[in-house]
Amino acid sequence: MQHTTIQPNDILAKAETLRETLSTSFRDEMVKSLYSEAEKIAKRAVKTVQEKKYDLDQKIDRLVTSPITGLPIMLILLGIVIWLTVSGANVASEAIANVLFGIGDGGRALFNQIGMPWWITGFLWDGVYLGLAWVVSVMLPPMAIFFPAFTFLEDLGYLPRVAFNLDWLFKKAGAHGKQSLTMAMGFGCNAAGVVATRVIDSPRERLIAILTNNFVPCNGRFPTLIMLATVFVAAAFPPALTSFVAAGAVVGVVLIGVAFTFLMSWLLSRTVLKGEASAFTLELPPYRRPNVTRILYTSLIDRTIFVLWRAMQTAAPAGAIIWILANIHLGDSNLARMIADWLNPFGLLLGLDGVILLAYIIAIPANEIVVPTMMMVYMGAGMMVDGPGTSAGIYDLLVNGHGWTMLTAVNLMLFALLHNPCATTIITIYKETKSYKWAAVSVLITLGTAFLVTLLTASFAHFMGWV
Amino acid sequence: MNFWIWFPILLLAATFLPRYGLLTLYKDWRSAKEREQLEDALKHLLDREGQGRHASPESLAGTLNLPRAKITRLIADMESQGLLETHGSQLHLTAEGTRWAMHVVRAHRLWERYLADEARMPLNKIHDAAQKREHSFTEAQLNDLDAALGHPTHDPHGDPIPTREGKMPSAESQPITARQDEGPVRIVHIEDEPAIAYEQILAAGLRLGQVIRIIERTPGRIVLSDGETEYRLAPAVAANVGVATLPESEIAKTNAVPLADLSQDQRAEIVMLDDSVQGFTRRRFLDLGLTPGATIHPELGNFFGDPRAYRVRGTLIALRKDQAARIWVRPV
Repeated sequence: MQHTTIQPNDILAKAETLRETLSTSFRDEMVKSLYSEAEKIAKRAVKTVQEKKYDLDQKIDRLVTSPITGLPIMLILLGIVIWLTVSGANVASEAIANVLFGIGDGGRALFNQIGMPWWITGFLWDGVYLGLAWVVSVMLPPMAIFFPAFTFLEDLGYLPRVAFNLDWLFKKAGAHGKQSLTMAMGFGCNAAGVVATRVIDSPRERLIAILTNNFVPCNGRFPTLIMLATVFVAAAFPPALTSFVAAGAVVGVVLIGVAFTFLMSWLLSRTVLKGEASAFTLELPPYRRPNVTRILYTSLIDRTIFVLWRAMQTAAPAGAIIWILANIHLGDSNLARMIADWLNPFGLLLGLDGVILLAYIIAIPANEIVVPTMMMVYMGAGMMVDGPGTSAGIYDLLVNGHGWTMLTAVNLMLFALLHNPCATTIITIYKETKSYKWAAVSVLITLGTAFLVTLLTASFAHFMGWV
Repeated sequence: MNFWIWFPILLLAATFLPRYGLLTLYKDWRSAKEREQLEDALKHLLDREGQGRHASPESLAGTLNLPRAKITRLIADMESQGLLETHGSQLHLTAEGTRWAMHVVRAHRLWERYLADEARMPLNKIHDAAQKREHSFTEAQLNDLDAALGHPTHDPHGDPIPTREGKMPSAESQPITARQDEGPVRIVHIEDEPAIAYEQILAAGLRLGQVIRIIERTPGRIVLSDGETEYRLAPAVAANVGVATLPESEIAKTNAVPLADLSQDQRAEIVMLDDSVQGFTRRRFLDLGLTPGATIHPELGNFFGDPRAYRVRGTLIALRKDQAARIWVRPV
């Protein structure tokens, strides 16, 4: 018997010659035959009994995408989710804070009792532990409310309709309609918003969504915005209007963020991201009855715990650094105070001050601890503090004690909106893009925008002689 | 330390640093520039040979936009590298020169394919972008790119892409004056010399890739039509328009309409995806079941008019208008 041996290279060469004889549409034919085979199998195995549900889906679709009802439904749903989150989280945050800070007090007392040196007690309980406790108590409740609510809409099948409605706007900016969903997710947490961009299947549009997600203020920044809007902006109006004005100011800031998202998307799609791959397709799945177990699992385990864990990893060292800065004394000043003084000229140029910049630098791990850090330095405390309990108290401390003006408040709101992503988000961007370059770009464009905008408003205000 | 001590040291270091010094950077830039010129010259020679004519130092100087002295030096340099031979004022590529030139042309056309298919860059932008990148690919990179793109045979302008063995597939083009039938045919080549004829063809509004029929043929003139507009050309000018027989898919397209033109709930059968839909978008379309033969109808409009959602194979899929315009369907 004779064997003819075939070399691998012969096969490859043969394939090479055969390829030239293929018609250009052979891939289409291939997919077509796969589909017809699948259809054949489906016909044998699947029985369709009802057509009714299909009609209901169509009716709902007409309702949620119509010009008259579509947009209001969308805004109302988003409003409900954010209102639930903000109002519900307040109560829960306080409860969790009471428990966690109670544990901290207990730990500190115990350490004092057994005679630990003051700096070990301070470092561990007032630094590391306080940082952790603060982040958990402020971050956990809003996420635990926002994510299930958001996932509920997702599971229902409603969210793709939002992308469908708004795609036209995003197309103008060179982006993908599904970016509306990742932005909405950004209200919960920007890191989660960045992860959510996985639903965008086209690489260029996905990068745009990742790089601009930070222009949507997350849960961690809302308290800062609300505090400033209440204490400063609303204070200029009669008491009856206070809450309306405050809410209006926060909505205004959010809209500015949305405007920057579109502007930056437009710029990116026409400059750095010009050559990246791009396509648009959007599936509108049938409506389903939401599955409660799945909602709780995806929202709490996949999203909340995931983000919280990452935030805790960065909050602990940040807490330690904050404590060290506040407790190393040189002469009659401490390290935090000295750095703040050194940063002050630059801060004033931006209409802010040195303390604010310092707070943003050391609070990179989580936006939640920016205000406590600021209060710590202003009040000369040795650890993060809540600040005065009332609006009037805060106003007095900042304006009379530390020279704040309306410009400082407005620019801090703008800075809080536009500044660099928190460490958790930066790490997430790196993990999602697998590129240090894009992580760096995300920091540069946001920080650059924040500096530029605050510099412009401050210069304008100085030029007009308002401050 | 005194400023006048460390400043010169810093300056020297910045200039002579082995890898990132200014001197090295300048040398790298020079050699990249020289390689670019040499490769552009090779392309010009190959181009001329493809047209059955020979390049000369004059034509080379015109194409590269360089003074004669530099051209003479470039030619001498290329001759010493064994890339070309001179016969009087005629320049001929050697086998080695042809191989290299083919590599550059392949890089250019494959990269154009990538930009058009994957990056969806507008067609009028891709040539310049490819002109910049064509000099920086290695053989191995090109083979990877070729495989990733699915071994395309033509660039987005219809020019054939050389094979990895460095062979140029023959373009099946014949002058439109040589056609006896009425078509339809596709314009695959417009000769750019003499320039007067070329200008006339462009001014008439004809372009590459256009599908036309010959509707009148007299010794005085040739009349072409693309179904909407009529184009009149003198036979001598028309001879510079190269055409090829349409593939069957294109003939099918002639009596189909774009999906975007269907009115609400009008049922249709997909005939084909347009040839301009390639790469990433085509794969997505096929994955979603937008295959030839599938039935489809627009089901859901949008208050901005764009996108629309289409029902295909039982699922609802939203497509933007510019995409739906490139799916050809036949109403049923």
